[in-house]
Amino acid sequence: MSNYAAPIRDMQFVMKELAGLDRVAALPGYEEASPDLVDAILEEAGKFAGGVLAPLNFSGDQEGSRWQDGAVTTPAGFKDAYQQFVDNGWPALACDPEYGGQGLPRLVSMVVREMWKASNMAFSLCPMLTQGAIEALALAGSDELKQTFLPNMVSGHWTGTMNLTEPGAGSDLAAVRSRAEPQADGTYKIFGQKIFITWGEHDVAENIVHLVLARTPTAPAGVKGISLFVVPKFMVNADGGLGERNDAWCASIEHKLGIHASPTAVMVFGDHGGATGYLVGEENRGLEYMFIMMNEARIAVGLEGVAISDRAYQQALAYAKDRIQGKDMRVRGGGDVPIIRHPDVRRMLMMMKSQIEAMRALAYVVASALDHAHASPDANDRARNQAFSDLMIPVVKGWCTENANDITSLGVQVHGGMGFIEETGAAQHYRDARITAIYEGTTGIQALDLIGRKIARENGATVKAVIAEMSALDAKLAAQEGADFATIRKALAEGVAAVSACVDFILANFAKEAALVAAGSVPFLKLMGVVSGGWQMARAALAADALLKEGSGDPAFYRAKIATSRFYADHVMPQAAGLARTMLEGGESVLALEEAQF
Amino acid sequence: MKILVPVKRVIDYNVRPRVKADGSAVDLANVKMAMNPFDEIAVEEAMRLKEAGIATEVVVVSCGLPACQETLRTALALGADRAILVETDVELQPLAVAKLLKALAVQEAPQLVILGKQAIDDDSSQTGQMLAALMGWPQAVFASKVTVVDGKAKVAREVDGGTETLEVSLPAVVTTDLRLNEPRYATLPNIMKAKKKPLVTVKPADLGVDVAPRLATLKVAEPAKRKAGAMVADVAALVDKLKNEAKVI
Amino acid sequence: MAILLIAEHDNARLKAATLNTLTAAAKIGGDIHVLVAGSGCGPAADAAARLAGVAKVLVADAAHYGDQLAENLAALVVATAQAGGYSHVLAAASSQGKNFMPRVAALLDVAQVSDIVAVESADTFVRPIYAGNILATVKSADAVKVITVRPTGFDAAGEGGSAPVEALAAGPDLGISKVVSRELTVSARPELGAAKVVVSGGRGLGSGENYHKLLEPLADKLGAALGASRAAVDAGFVPNDYQVGQTGKIVAPQLYIAVGISGAIQHLAGMKESKVIVAINKDPEAPIFQVADYGLVADLFTAIPELTAAL
Ligand SMILES: Cc1cc2nc3c(=O)[nH]c(=O)nc-3n(C[C@H](O)[C@H](O)[C@H](O)COP(=O)(O)OP(=O)(O)OC[C@H]3O[C@@H](n4cnc5c(N)ncnc54)[C@H](O)[C@@H]3O)c2cc1C
Repeated sequence: MSNYAAPIRDMQFVMKELAGLDRVAALPGYEEASPDLVDAILEEAGKFAGGVLAPLNFSGDQEGSRWQDGAVTTPAGFKDAYQQFVDNGWPALACDPEYGGQGLPRLVSMVVREMWKASNMAFSLCPMLTQGAIEALALAGSDELKQTFLPNMVSGHWTGTMNLTEPGAGSDLAAVRSRAEPQADGTYKIFGQKIFITWGEHDVAENIVHLVLARTPTAPAGVKGISLFVVPKFMVNADGGLGERNDAWCASIEHKLGIHASPTAVMVFGDHGGATGYLVGEENRGLEYMFIMMNEARIAVGLEGVAISDRAYQQALAYAKDRIQGKDMRVRGGGDVPIIRHPDVRRMLMMMKSQIEAMRALAYVVASALDHAHASPDANDRARNQAFSDLMIPVVKGWCTENANDITSLGVQVHGGMGFIEETGAAQHYRDARITAIYEGTTGIQALDLIGRKIARENGATVKAVIAEMSALDAKLAAQEGADFATIRKALAEGVAAVSACVDFILANFAKEAALVAAGSVPFLKLMGVVSGGWQMARAALAADALLKEGSGDPAFYRAKIATSRFYADHVMPQAAGLARTMLEGGESVLALEEAQF
Repeated sequence: MKILVPVKRVIDYNVRPRVKADGSAVDLANVKMAMNPFDEIAVEEAMRLKEAGIATEVVVVSCGLPACQETLRTALALGADRAILVETDVELQPLAVAKLLKALAVQEAPQLVILGKQAIDDDSSQTGQMLAALMGWPQAVFASKVTVVDGKAKVAREVDGGTETLEVSLPAVVTTDLRLNEPRYATLPNIMKAKKKPLVTVKPADLGVDVAPRLATLKVAEPAKRKAGAMVADVAALVDKLKNEAKVI
Repeated sequence: MAILLIAEHDNARLKAATLNTLTAAAKIGGDIHVLVAGSGCGPAADAAARLAGVAKVLVADAAHYGDQLAENLAALVVATAQAGGYSHVLAAASSQGKNFMPRVAALLDVAQVSDIVAVESADTFVRPIYAGNILATVKSADAVKVITVRPTGFDAAGEGGSAPVEALAAGPDLGISKVVSRELTVSARPELGAAKVVVSGGRGLGSGENYHKLLEPLADKLGAALGASRAAVDAGFVPNDYQVGQTGKIVAPQLYIAVGISGAIQHLAGMKESKVIVAINKDPEAPIFQVADYGLVADLFTAIPELTAAL
């Protein structure tokens, strides 16, 4: 078991100095998000995360959710914690005030969600999926559907799920086979089996609102023939109360590597005559709605990578200060010391810390761009921010989650043998982190999205603008004094050159040899992540330096920020050149073997 | 009835305090601050009395630097109705705080003042008792259960070796012990509302109180570190050490 | 310079803390007068008179001091302190002293110095702040110093005096508070998280039966709570709520006795803030000895009964 203290100081720094909280708060509709209110929200959310959710993380993992006769029992304490979560109004934070939400910006909600995820990832998936379902309904649902379902989902009294995956349809949702038969009353009867449905069945709320992808009888084959339906666990009466049990049942839950407290359900629709479903939006446009919604879900999962990494870091750091082993190399004849004095332990901790800060910065900057994309009064500004977030979301999702695997692994390593022992809790973070690079689209799928839809399709317009923006930082870095900034500047320049070369390669080859480009797509996604993170860390160092010179705030924090940025430049940014070479030259060897030669 | 709840801004419970290099004071620069945990219990008790229909208004007070506003906002986010900040940069000691509170108690005329039994920074455990004395009110300190009926408060309080239940006439001062209740977490709507609740600022001079400190801190230091353990030869030697050296039995 | 020391007693006997407070008073220097206020408290006053270093005992014997109500007691102490022109008023920093002494200070319009653990001079004292993480040396500028004394900071004073006992007229009964009931916990074992003494057993005990047979008598003698290591819980010796450690309870008692516990790091995390740690284990290499103040390498099956008998 370990404690979790929300890293509020870094969160505030990133929000204010890098993600432009003040500019977000100036957008129409977000006026409430003043700095002091945001500070108060972070403070109180941090208390809830640390005091209520974090203590259930370890026990939830040990106990796991259990299935019996179609019902799922969550681990001890989860039901109460969820009730408190709802009573305290947290689910409504970023939702539309029309349905009872507080209407706060995504930037604020992202930061708060990081706390839920870090304190108890398995728990946090329940509100995360509900949020996704709310967004899908809000986007495309009829007024009647919205009135029927949204208020109770926004308050958290009902939870939501996303039923996309089937045994034969995972990465490729075009293969969905579930059927939807139209009825005379305008509803549909849904038949089919869905797998891996997060929080598909549970005991923490009275109703579950499933969003289900299925095909109508007349639908064309492929991606253009999939529709989206609302299928509640309990039907909703005209008066808003709960009615009959719908024909949507949980057949079992999975036994998993991690997130044991989060029930991952096999859902069976229509085994007893058909589950009643309501069409969301228009027929055959289901995947289109999903993809809009998925943008936000993907950045949320990317953030999960940040969060679980931070939890692992906090635990490793506490252990490194506590565990006595060996002598300090720099002290002759000294006594035994805490392991944080050993250079390699420090290196591991710095690898964790510097990448977490870079990941957090990029995730928040993208969240802020989404706010501008939605709420800016200026159409050009909206478009620019939409394009930027579209480009960056697969990077945030893929890079932060792949990194989370490495960082939580380092967290285990810092503990030595104790890291491998479940009782310590470091292993749980490592296991929990593993799923983040898989669900909401694997890293491979993110990388394809990045090179194809986000770069090649628009001929690199947005990525080139981002490269230009990164390059523009060079002059500011050049104006700084000292070795730290010189190193940061050089590393960023090399990183940007690496990205630039790869973008040229993608644009030159995607149309004619897509497979060759795709072979290097994941290394390229990581390259984009590493360099974008370095870009944010360079901005962070500049901001910290300016604040230091101004003499406001905590000098120790700002100096640490600059030193951390320097570390990132020394230890992480050099990966860029290697990743670029892999993309530029490594495609052919990926494709070289015949299948029989494997 | 009205309840007055004084709250103190102190170093966060989870932060280990450090002494300044010159040993003159505890270094509070850039340290995370929070509401004194016993005061959270006091706010909670007041809120429960309000929710039970016994109290009609909960007024929170904090004395000290402008940053105490944050602590007051926290209390407002927990449900308190309004806040008063007595602003000063003078180092406040319990007697001075008790005098400030007396002045406010005279103005506000609460039936109950609920305070934490001590602040986790100076650990004095004096302010509530001093306020009661200055007002000529009864006190029930270290409370583990509070019930208010017929103009009287019945308070179970933690004393060495057990509990003692007092009945005090109102108005009275109650100070909270850990077991009294488990403070709630602020709700999001209340956090948002807290911003708009009234918070007035007054100065000690407005209240006619001299807050000059009576105690001078000459130095602060960390206590001697745990001595390296010693092995003892037998049970008799162990008992002797526990009795005469460690003095724990 | 004269010091007024408020005795803590149950009418029949003085409470032990009074003896430590007396030692603190002696370090300040000057005549020491002990005030015994109670109801039928003659025997306690006589006991105070026999203490070494006491110059005079003042007795206020009245029904309304029977319950030691802070309001009545403070009024009496203030009147006595003013009448006698005392330079210091001292009491133990017990739940009683903490109750009435700040009232005394406020009514005298002076600061109180709480919980002192050392006397530097007649006006300068050392007291723990920040939960004992820091010691502050403070100097009082007030004419009368009102002080509460942490009993563990001073030795107990001995007997050997024969001070005169003088009766005092009782002060007023303010009648604004009364004791309705008292529930003193006598036999029940204290709660693990709050206990002053914890006796914990590990796998070295071999069985649940041994755990109870050996540790319960020891815990009874010490008024201790019982705890256990994760290994003992996993082995089924005791239920899970006995567990001390990272995944169990975090404890910080005055005295922690680890019996047959090797000292896995998770266990240490749950108890290493204890004031005094005793480890009894037959393996001299057990890591628990690295954090123990007192280590005893012994077979616990003989050492524990011996220890229980010696207490
Ligand atoms: C714990 C858990 C919770 C989940 N929660 C939900 C949920 O709530 N709702 C829901 O609908 N689904 C959920 N899923 C499903 C999840 O989104 C899918 O598992 C994921 O998208 C991958 O699909 P798949 O398992 O079918 O793998 P596959 O698609 O079979 O992929 C296998 C491998 O092939 C690669 N691959 C596949 N296609 C391509 C391609 N075109 N190019 C390159 N590489 C490719 C993948 O990257 C992967 O490495 C969950 C899964 C898990 C394990």
